[in-house]
Amino acid sequence: MGTAVSIELADDLPAARLGELIADVCRWLHEVDARFSTYQPESEVMRLRRGELTAADASEDLRHVLNACADLWRATDGYFDAYAGGPLDPSGYVKGWSVEVASARLAAAGSTNHYINAGGDIRMRGHHPDGGPWRVGIRHPWEADKLSWVLALTDGAIATSGTYERGDHVINPRTGKPAQGLRSVTVVGPDLSLADAYATAALAMGEPGLKWLAKIATDGYESAVVTDDGRAFSSANLPAAV
Amino acid sequence: MRRSTAAAVGTLTGAALIVGVRLSVQPPSAPAAAPPSTSLVDNPAPEATAKKPAGTAGGAGKKTTEPEKNKSGLKDGTFKGKGATNPYGTVQVTLKIANGKITAVDATYPTTGNSATINPVAVPKLKQETLQAQSAKVAAVSGATYTSQSYQESLQAALDSAKA
Repeated sequence: MGTAVSIELADDLPAARLGELIADVCRWLHEVDARFSTYQPESEVMRLRRGELTAADASEDLRHVLNACADLWRATDGYFDAYAGGPLDPSGYVKGWSVEVASARLAAAGSTNHYINAGGDIRMRGHHPDGGPWRVGIRHPWEADKLSWVLALTDGAIATSGTYERGDHVINPRTGKPAQGLRSVTVVGPDLSLADAYATAALAMGEPGLKWLAKIATDGYESAVVTDDGRAFSSANLPAAV
Repeated sequence: MRRSTAAAVGTLTGAALIVGVRLSVQPPSAPAAAPPSTSLVDNPAPEATAKKPAGTAGGAGKKTTEPEKNKSGLKDGTFKGKGATNPYGTVQVTLKIANGKITAVDATYPTTGNSATINPVAVPKLKQETLQAQSAKVAAVSGATYTSQSYQESLQAALDSAKA
């Protein structure tokens, strides 16, 4: 299973430098894959699963991931669950987190205007090359070439979870059945690792997720939702483009 | 060079956002579950009782028959309702009344274990609107996780190839 990653740097830097920055991001993402993938038998996660590595001896990154998954399990009432499929699978957190870290690295290395889009989950900073904010479309859940919202952001993250792309792959842990009720959930906020996990959890909740999303809006995570029957909802401060 | 773009297709882990399967889920193991500091917000306080007017139960404030001042008949002070318990936990409402007017309403509710989701909370709802199907100019597209294959057919891929 691969995920496409698109990177755009809009900084006024020499081409060679931009190339280095992009190479560094790619290196980091491949490193994350090697260390955390459940498809790579020698990854830290798989060694932890097999008991060859204890949590206490795990790398700082892995310990961070484990703690974050535990926090998210509580914050989402158990709807985000890294142990849902049985053995530990923190992939649902690792993807957003790795992009969040990649963006922070870019910023530290001098790129303050960029976005990274990993499979539809986006972390952006600064401005578009034209000087305005980054305009990001949210894919229409039935018409792949259309947008259901257009947002404008300078610094922040946008994550979307939906049932339209890969079918019933999100399971409601309360029922053990595929999540129903919501077709597409987008969460916008400061941190991509949280936005991504929140979007997935809300999708798993189904329609009660609308209430839960209203609650996290008070923590700075705005949302836009389309239900299975085509109703659209958004939180009050969703940064819609004008 | 004003900017540079690149699109790379990697094998980034995490495409599988599988949540749940089992009902009898254990809390996340070892290091995760270790810190006892679980609560995100305030803990429910089911045992708390009314502060001033002891014994005046009920979250809706108390109508007194005091003849004086407040037209509303509401006594000033902070009133805690009796905790209402359902299978998901205990909800307790607190009212603050100043000059005979309700100035604040607050509710404690469980945020861990079973049910922040099911108990409605006093926060604004998401607003309903009409679903759009637009084709605006954007720099990037957010959508459900796509595979490498479906990426090829996505709007983001079209954007990337336009810039390449």
